Parts: sequence; C-alpha cells; structure tokens
Amino acid sequence: MATQGLAPPIAVARTRPAWLETFAGQALALLASFAIALVAGSLLIIAYGENPIDVYTSILDASLGSADGIGYVLAIATPLIFSALAVSVCFKGGMFNIGVEGQYLVAMITAAVAELNLDFLPGPLLIPAVLIAAMLGGMIWAAVPGVLKVRTGAHEVVTTIMMNGIAVSLVGWALNGPLHYNDAPEGAFVDLRSNVFPPEGLAGDLGAKFGVTPGAHLSWLLFLAIVAAIVVWFLIRRTRLGYEARAVGSSPGSAKAGGVSIGSTQLRLFLISGALAGLVGMHLILADRGYLPLNYVVGLGFTGIAVAFLGQNNPIGIIFAAILWGILSRGEVALQISSQVPREFIIILQGLLILTVVITYQIAKRRLAARQLQRAGLAGELEDSAAPEESSGPRGPEDTGAEALEPGKRI
Amino acid sequence: MTTGGGAGGNGSPPLVVLEHITKRFPGVLANDEVDLELRAGEVHALIGENGAGKSTLMRVLYGMYPADGGRILVRGQEIKIGSPRDAIANGIGMVHQHFVLVDPFTVTENIILGEEGGERLDVVAAQQRIAELADSYGFRVDPGAVVEELSVGEEQRVEILKALYRGVEILILDEPTAVLTPSESKDLFDNLRKLREAGRTIVFISHKLDEVMEIADRITVLRRGRVVGETPPAETSKAKLAEMMVGRPVLFRLEKPTVQIGEPVLRVQDLTGDGKLNGLSLEVRAGEILGVAGVEGNGQRELAESLIGLRTPASGTIELEGSSIAGRRVFDIRNAGVGYIPEDRHEQGLVLNMTLWENALLGRQDDAEFSGTLGVLFIKKVKELTARLIKLFDIRARSVDVAASTLSGGNQQKLILARELETDPKLLIAAQPTRGLDVGAIEFVWKQILDQKAAGRGVLLISAELDEIYALSDRIVTLYEGKITGEFPPDAPPEQIGMGMLGRAPEEAA
Repeated sequence: MATQGLAPPIAVARTRPAWLETFAGQALALLASFAIALVAGSLLIIAYGENPIDVYTSILDASLGSADGIGYVLAIATPLIFSALAVSVCFKGGMFNIGVEGQYLVAMITAAVAELNLDFLPGPLLIPAVLIAAMLGGMIWAAVPGVLKVRTGAHEVVTTIMMNGIAVSLVGWALNGPLHYNDAPEGAFVDLRSNVFPPEGLAGDLGAKFGVTPGAHLSWLLFLAIVAAIVVWFLIRRTRLGYEARAVGSSPGSAKAGGVSIGSTQLRLFLISGALAGLVGMHLILADRGYLPLNYVVGLGFTGIAVAFLGQNNPIGIIFAAILWGILSRGEVALQISSQVPREFIIILQGLLILTVVITYQIAKRRLAARQLQRAGLAGELEDSAAPEESSGPRGPEDTGAEALEPGKRI
Repeated sequence: MTTGGGAGGNGSPPLVVLEHITKRFPGVLANDEVDLELRAGEVHALIGENGAGKSTLMRVLYGMYPADGGRILVRGQEIKIGSPRDAIANGIGMVHQHFVLVDPFTVTENIILGEEGGERLDVVAAQQRIAELADSYGFRVDPGAVVEELSVGEEQRVEILKALYRGVEILILDEPTAVLTPSESKDLFDNLRKLREAGRTIVFISHKLDEVMEIADRITVLRRGRVVGETPPAETSKAKLAEMMVGRPVLFRLEKPTVQIGEPVLRVQDLTGDGKLNGLSLEVRAGEILGVAGVEGNGQRELAESLIGLRTPASGTIELEGSSIAGRRVFDIRNAGVGYIPEDRHEQGLVLNMTLWENALLGRQDDAEFSGTLGVLFIKKVKELTARLIKLFDIRARSVDVAASTLSGGNQQKLILARELETDPKLLIAAQPTRGLDVGAIEFVWKQILDQKAAGRGVLLISAELDEIYALSDRIVTLYEGKITGEFPPDAPPEQIGMGMLGRAPEEAA
C-alpha cells in the first residue's frame, strides 16, 4: 500500500479521540430526535386545538413535578428495564426474542410456586429463592425456542410467538388448578388469582422513605434492574461470551471461521435473555399485587422491544429509555384531566420517538463512519468502502431505508 | 495501434473531452484537475491503484457525481451531465461492477426496462431487435433466457446490451474482468474488439496490467486523483505501468527463498463432500508452497473450508502432521496450528463493524493470554497485540479502536494476515489471498507468504490467478471438478497447466 512512505498529514492534524466523537455525535442525534418527535407531536396537538407547550408541560408536571410522580415513573420503568435488557441480549447475537412476554408469564408461575411452597424460609432467603425460581422459569421457556433454533434452524420469531400463546394459557391453567386460591373470605367475589404471598416474600415499599405514595409501588427491584443493566453491559463488552455474541450477530461467517460455535453462543444468549425476562413480572407480583393475577398486565415483553429500540440496545441507554417511557406513560393521566387531546396521543408520541431515534442514530452512525474514513486520510479508503455502497444499487432507495431499520445490524 | 474502426487516428477530433475535472469528497480529493480525451473507435484503458480516482472520474462522466470543477465536452459541445439519464441521452453508458438486473425477468425484459416504447409491450419485436444487436457484436446471449439462470459472464453481456440498446456510443466498463473466469474474459475481449470495429468507444477501468496491455489502444494512468501519464501499450511495459501506478518500482517476481523441504505437514486423501469434492488428494510439506490452480467453482472453496473445519467432508482423510483433523471443529483445527486466509474477507475474515482489536482477537478469544477463566477479556493485552500487529504489518489505521470497515481493502487483508500469522501456524491456507488488491498490496501479501515458506512452514495457496501461482509455488497442482488433475513443476508452461485446469492433463506433463 505504501505510496510515498509517509501518511498524509490529515491524520495528524486533528486528533479528537474516537470515543469522544462518537459520544458527541450520539448525544446530538438524541437531541435532534427528541426535537423532531416533539415538533411532530405539536402538530397533532394543534390539530386538536390545544397549545403544545401547555400539553407538554402538563405531561412533565404529572410525571416529574412531584415526588409521587417520579415514584410512579420509576415504578413503571422497573419491569421495562428487565424486559428491554432481555430483548437486547438476543439482539446482540443477531436474534429477535419476541418471547419475553411468555417467558415472564411462566416465570411468574414458578415464582408463585416458590412463594407458596417455600414460605417456611425467612425473608432474606425466601426472596432470593423466588427470584431464582423466576429466572429459571424464564430460562426454561426461552430454552425451547433456543434449542429449536440451534438444532433445527426453526426461526426464533415464530417459535417464541407460539411459546407466548402457550404461556398465556398456562397461567390460566395454573390459576384454575394447582395455584387456585383458597384464602378468599367466605362469600366474597374475588378475581381469578393465586393465594396471597407471605409478607416476608414481598418487595417492600420504598416510596415511603422518599415521600412517595405507596400507590406507586416503588420498590428496590428498581436497583436490581439497574444492577442487571450494568451486568449486561459488562457481559456484552468485557467478556468472551459477549464478544463472541457480537461477532455472531454482525458476521456469522467470520465468527465461525474464527472458531466460534454459533449454536452454543446463541443458546447461551437465549438462556440469559430468558433469565432476565424472568425478572420482568416480579414488580407486578412482588411489589404491586402480592399474588399471581390472571394476565392483568400483558404486553410488558412487547413494550420491552420498543424500549430496547429507544435505548439503541445499549444497557445504559435502556435505563434512560425506560424512564422516558415511564414519563410519557405517566403523562397519560395529565392528558385526560387537563386537555382535549386523547390519551392515545402518548402512544403516538412514543412511536414517533422510536422512529426518530432509530433514524437519527442511523444517520449519525453513517456520518461518523464517513468522518473516520476521511480521518484515516487515504483516498483509497473512500473508494473502497464508501463508494461501492452507492454504486451497487445506483438507483436504489431500497438499500438505504430498509437497512436503517433492521435491528440485527446494530452493534 | 488502432485496428479498424477508421476514426481512431490522432488526427480526428476527440469524441469526449474532460477538462480539469475536480471532484472532492469530504477530506479526500478524488480527482484533481484531471484531463482526459476519448477518441471515437478506441479502447481507452484507465488504470491506477484502488482509490486512484478512476471510478470516480467515470462516475462524473456518467452523471452519478456532480464535478466540483472542470467541464465536459462531447463532440466539441460543452454539456452538463446531471444524471445517468443525461449521460445516456448523450450516448454515454456505463456497466458497473455490481450488476443491476431483475433476476426473475428475461434478458429481453431486463434490457427494455425503462425503454419499453409505448404503453403496449411488444416483447416479440424487442426480442428480435435484441437478438440482432447481440448477433452483430458476437454476444452469445439468449434474449428469452431468465436472468437468474445466467452465468456471471452472461449477465455482464446483458448489461452491455442494455447500454447498446439505448444507442450508447461510449461504453464505460468498471473493472469488467474482476468477476469473470479467464475464458469468460477472453469472450468479453472478443466482444470488445467487435464493438471497436463498429466504431464504438470503450473505456476500460482496470488494475490488471496484462489485460490492459492486451486490449487497450491507449492507456491513461491515474495516481492519487491525478493523471500521471498517457501512452499506447506499444510504448510501455507492465513494469513501467506498475511504477507509474504505485509511484515506485514494483517487483513482479519476488525472490523465492531456498529452504530445505521437510516432512509433509498436510496430507489429504480421497476427500469428497458436498458434490464439489470428488476424491481429492494432495500433500503440503514443510517449507513448501503448493499452488492449487483451477477455474473458480471447481471445489476451491469447499477444499479450503473442509481443511479449516467449516465443512465436514463426506469421506476421505485430512491429516495435519500425521493426526487426523477431518470433521473436527474450527476451534480445534486452529489450535492444532492451521491459519486461514479466506477467499472472502468480509464473509469469513473480518467483522466489519467491530474494532481492529476485536478483529485481531478473533480466533484467539479463548487463549489464556487474552481471557480469564470466568471469560473476562483482557482488553489491554489485546490492544497491545493489535498495536504491535499494526506496526509490524504497516496497517494504515487511526487507532486500534476504529471499525475494520474504515480500512481499505489492502489494509483489511493485512489485518487478517497479521492475525493469522501471529500464532505461527504450521500450515497456512491462503485462498485467493490477493483478490481485489492493488499492485502494492499484492507485493506485500506475496512477501508474507514467502516468509512463511522461509520459516519452514507449509502453505496451501489456492488461487484463480495463474500469475500468483507461478510467482509463489514450489509445486503446482490443477483442480478440476473437485479432483487434482495434474502436478507440475513451477516452471511448467502455462498451456500445460491450462490443460490441467480443464481436466485434460496429459500424463507426461508431470
């Protein structure tokens, strides 16, 4: 390659570290995406004859304007962090775990079994036992599609969706059969549920310490979720498994030629994802209800996919994405009280945010890549790696938009 | 030098003139005041290293990029070309390296796409016109055939016909032979000669000097976005052209080190599998480079992948220093001392969106040196290793933290080489190790492979480039339909090896 010996001077002239550039670029992308989503949302609000600033203020006021509001936001975020982490772990390995929903439903059953049968244990032992039971439940449910994928090549999207259906029915069966309540007061009408868990097996209310109403059900599970995010970050970025997972997710051929076992890597990811999924339902049964209800909250697994997108599959990004999601969800209350804008506006805004985040990040990523190319300084690099993209599909919009939204391609 | 075509001489006015064309990409000056003249009825070769600006210049002419400076004259008139549509209207067509055809359509349907001529589709008439057009230039293409069933060479002919159907007089071909087998290239050259006789002008972008010397009437050499020379082939030589391209003398024949040939490192016997290997046997000894020559698609890929463990052979034995490795995992085979340079470095060599250090680690992530018992990576150590490799192999990169996709093709290949050679493998499998690289990078890769031999290791070189086989091999075998059809000394005449590549090796050849 060496043309006249020395590298061209461009490489030396400006030396901002790559990570700083990446960070600044992403921060900028994030701000831009928020701005675009908020402006688009404003148009909708105006169409309803309301003042966008008033509406946004009322949303923020309801969610962040009081200790109670913040408590609610964080409580909403707690299960979403687990759910999005579960989704993102599979994403890293190039897989789409649509089955978080079913995995946490099954995990709630196994956790309930542990609660009701290990009630002789003292609290400090009972709670860990319950959490382990939940993770095992999630892993078992994730193992099925995982093994099917590795052994038979069955696509995980199809199998996990079917496992979700089975899980829903399984909860119904458990509540009608082995877990059916018998502790209800005589003659009282009670929804289908399990017996109430022993009090020492519950995740105690944390809100009281911060002046948050017990109604928010804020619990230490929030901290567990944050710890889980840090563990996942470490796993993906600092361990062999995470490294192999990312290689498999980005280039299966190169990973295989590098001696990585694709099947074993993907199966392990699925099990980890299942364990994380197992913790999604804990907030509901340990902090909120104190018993296993019949599918009250369905959809945490699917919302987790959205949150994972919003957090760009970055574990730390997911924490913030879940909190943002919580802010908007809490804002629903304000909309109903103080404006003519229907509550579904929140769902639209959430959708807009996902779209703008995904798109602006993609643009930022390309810009950064182009910038790094020119920093490398050689004209050849441009022609080699950037230009063919344009030449291979000269008239093709098909290779710009589609790729931007494809989840598996992300790092 | 021009043959036929009448208008080729120096006296006639140029058909197309590019004056002071400048094209900038952020941070890169791709074309720097380039002047170029195309005359009617000539094959004009545009050569240069990857990134010299040849494709960019032609994309400017074809209206894909707006120029930042300069002007374009066609038949003496200054024109603005804002899009490929404008270019075609001015009689300029371009065939890209990657074809843009609709696979389920027939040849005719593909050719008339966008030029249907009215609401009522008269496929029969179009088909006839295309058949006549193809006939007149000796293109062997069935206008009724479905594109997805065509070979690469045939698809290329369809692309060229597509341009001719639109009445193009100036045809730009971007590295047309990069995707062709040697015999397909020969057919293409026959077609090009016919087009030249008919007075069409052809721009032939390439970095393969042999071809350029064979087909071109004039050669323009670009280096770093500038024209460094223009010459007819008769007044230059391969060595002179290479020097112009690279900016320094290039060695086409490297000194082969003399090494004592030792015991067999690799012994393959009666290997079959995937319908592509049919009883293949060969042997590579220590200090020896065995060149496997053959037309692509005769089992090269399957052979390499079976040896590294990506495929399990149906039958046969593979022994590395006497112990069987057939059907074992890639991981085990690598640890047993096999290095692998894949023929497709993006598919099997690098994870493009991962960093250089992550790519340098690939294949060694389980080494106790780089990860602990709990699976935690020792990133600092990996980065140190990567920095060392970058220095040792002169890989041009800003830091170990940039993505592998930001490297040029030559530097990507260097990174793979560096990684694979770092472990001192007993056997190196090098599959098409210089594919798509320019002269300077090829020289570097060749040197590294010869160094392996000098260090007494075995090298299995699989290549479709006969030049490369000759330059490096101690022994040459030919591969045809999954079988070794002949063994030759390194000085065997190419005709004999060519026979072996076609499966007709005479016994006395060896």
